[in-house]
Amino acid sequence: MLQRWEQLLSDVVAIPGVRGASLISTEDGLVVAEAAMDELDGNDVAALVSALVSRATRVTRAIHAAPPRLVQLAGDGGTLLGMLADEPLWLVAIAEPGAEIGRLRVLLGDLAGAVT
Amino acid sequence: MVLEGLAADPTLAAGHDLLGRIRADEGDDASAMVSWRAALGCEPGHLGALKGLAFLAFRARDYATAERHLESASHRAPHDASLLTALDRVRAVRPSVHDEAREFDDPANGLLLADADGMRLRGGLGQDAPGAASDAAAAEAGGLLREATRNARLLGLGTVKHLVIESTDARFVVCPVRPDAALMAYRTPSTPTGRLVAMAQRAAGAAEKWLEEMS
Repeated sequence: MLQRWEQLLSDVVAIPGVRGASLISTEDGLVVAEAAMDELDGNDVAALVSALVSRATRVTRAIHAAPPRLVQLAGDGGTLLGMLADEPLWLVAIAEPGAEIGRLRVLLGDLAGAVT
Repeated sequence: MVLEGLAADPTLAAGHDLLGRIRADEGDDASAMVSWRAALGCEPGHLGALKGLAFLAFRARDYATAERHLESASHRAPHDASLLTALDRVRAVRPSVHDEAREFDDPANGLLLADADGMRLRGGLGQDAPGAASDAAAAEAGGLLREATRNARLLGLGTVKHLVIESTDARFVVCPVRPDAALMAYRTPSTPTGRLVAMAQRAAGAAEKWLEEMS
């Protein structure tokens, strides 16, 4: 199972400009699998994204909307993209400025269905 | 005949919809609007009524309202090609430079400005969201942006430009306006993400000017 997840993540980091990708559990803020996260601490990423998803969930709950399935944080130094895979698992990718974010969104959406 | 039918069953949305069409054909837009709103009262999200209200708004050159009604309709019927065509048409004729302040002040436009303490400053989150829901969203917006800023700093993403949140029935964009304010734009998933980001950023610019005038 872990090997299959790491294979999925390697597809993500094959997109030019993607610094790393991981599969995290937002339930406990832990990393489940990761790829090319050399410059980043996977556990930090998992904890931070879990907190962000938790905050986003509070906003959707406030207006009686469904829980978030995608979170995209764009900064002037890069973009973080998180896609709900199989609750509480989220696929997360971090990309440099100029990366093909649209393509990354589509790929994460496709791969999210393969994480079970 | 339609009136007789509605007298017998005033909760028949299709009857109000048909009456709206007849009145719109007669050029009586005010009465048509009453009928279509009555149809929505009987059956929230009634497609014919949403299309009718969009038509009236389009005829009155209120393109923002027309777009909003069509987006609500296309959310309910995502494969209705006529709706997508109508949306394209409305978006094509919408002026490129909007009266941003006017759009911002109408809560139905789904633009919400909150201060750093989570207090709602202007706007709201759509015609279907009561004021309490908008206030609750504003209360969360500041904390969400703070969390995003912390994420961006620790992950080397630099200064936050915007945050997109998508669910199966809603799409949000949150932008920092100044260190002490956040703007949230809310639409149904039928609105393309890039378009919503552009709307939010433009509204954030207008909000920043408004905050400067206030201070």
